[in-house]
Amino acid sequence: MSRVVHYMNQFFAGLGGEDTAGTPPESRPGPVGPGRKLQELLGDEHELVATVFCGDDYAAGEPGAVDEIVRLVQEAEPDLVVAGPAFTSGRYGLACGRVAAAVAKAGIPVVASMHADNPGLEEAVPAPVVASGEAARRMGPSLETLAGAARALLGGEELTAENGRIGAVPRLSRVSDRNAATRAVELALARLGGDQEATEVPLPRFDHVAPAAPVADPGHVTVAILTEGALVPDDNPGRLESARATRWLRYPLEGVDALAPGEWRSVHGGFSTTWANEDPHRILPLDVARELEREGRIGTLFPAYLVTAGNGTSVGNARRFGIEWAADLHHSEVRAAVLTST
Amino acid sequence: MSEDDGLTRLVHQVRSVAVGEQTRFDDGHLTVSAADAAAALADEALASTTVSWASPGESVRIVKVLDAVEPRTKGAGGGGIFPGFVGPPRVQGRGETHVLRGAAVVTAGYLPRAQEAVVDLSGPAATLSPLGATHNLVVEFTPAEGAPWDEVDRALRRGVLRLAARLAEAALEAAPSQVEELPSPAARPAGDGLPRVGAVTNLQTQGAFKDVFVYGRSFGSGLPTFLDPGELDDGAVVSGQYGHPSLKNPTFMHQNHPVVAALRARHGVDVSFAGLVISPEPVDAGQKELVSAHAARVCAAAGWDAAVVTKEGGGNADGDVSLKMDALEDAGIAAVGLFAEMAGADGTGPPIVVPPERATAMVSTGNYDEHLVLPAVERALGGDTVALLDQPATDELQLPTAVVYCALSPLGWGNLTCAPEAVTAQ
Repeated sequence: MSRVVHYMNQFFAGLGGEDTAGTPPESRPGPVGPGRKLQELLGDEHELVATVFCGDDYAAGEPGAVDEIVRLVQEAEPDLVVAGPAFTSGRYGLACGRVAAAVAKAGIPVVASMHADNPGLEEAVPAPVVASGEAARRMGPSLETLAGAARALLGGEELTAENGRIGAVPRLSRVSDRNAATRAVELALARLGGDQEATEVPLPRFDHVAPAAPVADPGHVTVAILTEGALVPDDNPGRLESARATRWLRYPLEGVDALAPGEWRSVHGGFSTTWANEDPHRILPLDVARELEREGRIGTLFPAYLVTAGNGTSVGNARRFGIEWAADLHHSEVRAAVLTST
Repeated sequence: MSEDDGLTRLVHQVRSVAVGEQTRFDDGHLTVSAADAAAALADEALASTTVSWASPGESVRIVKVLDAVEPRTKGAGGGGIFPGFVGPPRVQGRGETHVLRGAAVVTAGYLPRAQEAVVDLSGPAATLSPLGATHNLVVEFTPAEGAPWDEVDRALRRGVLRLAARLAEAALEAAPSQVEELPSPAARPAGDGLPRVGAVTNLQTQGAFKDVFVYGRSFGSGLPTFLDPGELDDGAVVSGQYGHPSLKNPTFMHQNHPVVAALRARHGVDVSFAGLVISPEPVDAGQKELVSAHAARVCAAAGWDAAVVTKEGGGNADGDVSLKMDALEDAGIAAVGLFAEMAGADGTGPPIVVPPERATAMVSTGNYDEHLVLPAVERALGGDTVALLDQPATDELQLPTAVVYCALSPLGWGNLTCAPEAVTAQ
């Protein structure tokens, strides 16, 4: 018999509403509240051995709450963890998503249940989520979907849209029975046969970034220079990676008028750095920037530059760098920036 | 088959290997003499070289892998093999070619701009690389004092090709274990109304240590052109590209081009193999657009119905595939592109850096960023440490798939995919 642990919030555990939303996590043996119906749907082969619950505020706001919850879940030695249904409830959904993600990362099979509009959906990755209704009046059918998904997972299956799966499915490697070249020829034949939809890779959706309006008075603002060309002090003190960067760095330019060859180096792994190292201004145009500053064509040059290596960087990391750079520069009252790309 | 019709591969299966007194091939057993290897590799840019075997199943890891070459020859003294490097730069792809299948000559060591590339001969990563299943004669080297790196690179390339030819010459008198007739696409009948499907192969030509050679010359300034697939067999395309280990196409892979093999296998069944077009992969966006439009024109002139487009290298090379796919579709040719997915370690990022705008048919060769744990090994070749991790090369390593040599082969060698529906045939 397989052991199932159920996570829910304080409300469905019967403790009350907002007044008890600060309740810390707790574990009880056996099914609680909607867990009783879930046990019925799971049948005799699977036992709902414990219910872990937590107040919505505590789960969504208290640092370390997810770790505490996962510890209680693990104490019950589950073969599978189910979380929710959280419907469209925001804090409950976030908690279900975060608990599911943490449990999945601990290597325990898990599935969460919530509505497609719940903000917790994105938090669950890489754990699977199945659709629930919008509100508790849809508890019955939501539990049926959840129970079906639980049985499928316990049977070693992978969840798909047929099981009610929603949200992004992580793009992870698996092994096909044919090599990619053979599959490419098959796909070409499918296309020639009229199948315009056939593909192994869904088209990615990228954010659209509207360019900022021109700076009206560049002579009176602080301007920054930034680069993804991996130009760093010669000994690379911040250990910037040459490819697949996970970090960005900041180096001071205060009192620096020019970048002397030999004192600076590009560690970028995607192009020949010979010319960059011969004259580092080819990557970071400090010489020209200082000239413009002297001529008053820009106000002040920001006294540091930000740098990363744009070479095989994951979009997730690149997006994070962008958000961090924008926040950093905005906070420093930089009003224009030149980002050199290689 | 007449001389004009195509190429005959005389395949000699290598089943065991050794280093010995004499270079010889007896009944599947390949022996290499260290003196012959040293002679083939001798060059004033190299102070010394050593060779050692790494065979499937052994607890051995090769790090800093550069190029890999399948031993082949067309006759004693080099014949026409590797034209422009070993043989003179004359057009090849016809007649007979001896192939030592199951063996590879592999260079491993430090070169500038080369990115750390790992091959394991046992454990979970062994099945992810074509070199996990071959007997690999690993060439390690010490550059001569003061030798410029580009000279070292040139010496290694020429030396390894000579050594590969030399090994195959040991089998010239042996009875082949298999004979493969490979008619040239040009000599084939139109094909009973079967769709004409060809391969468009981008070669990453981006300067020193990231270059690909065709008949001994950098293809960097070339325009897309037809190549007889038999020319690949005879080593007309040689790799000098050491970036993006999982996304590189070593000489070995051009000699055994997987898309060409897949098209040859179906020729006359449900496909008429329409041929191969090679294209450079320039760094400049305008040049990328030019060669893409030009490649589509070449394919259209040859009356293709569909094309399988492949790349070499990382993100910018996605653009080369996408631009060609769009240009082909605009010319009325169905286009399929092969892409590795760069979706982050957890697989949740957008998978393609530069997706096509109009074409949509893409094949996934696996996730570039996913982490693998490679168990500790007894012995390592190519270097003492793994550059990325600053760890001894024999340690247990946690590395992204991106570091495993050819693991996401853009030429379609591997069986990885990120598409659940592509795991088994429908």
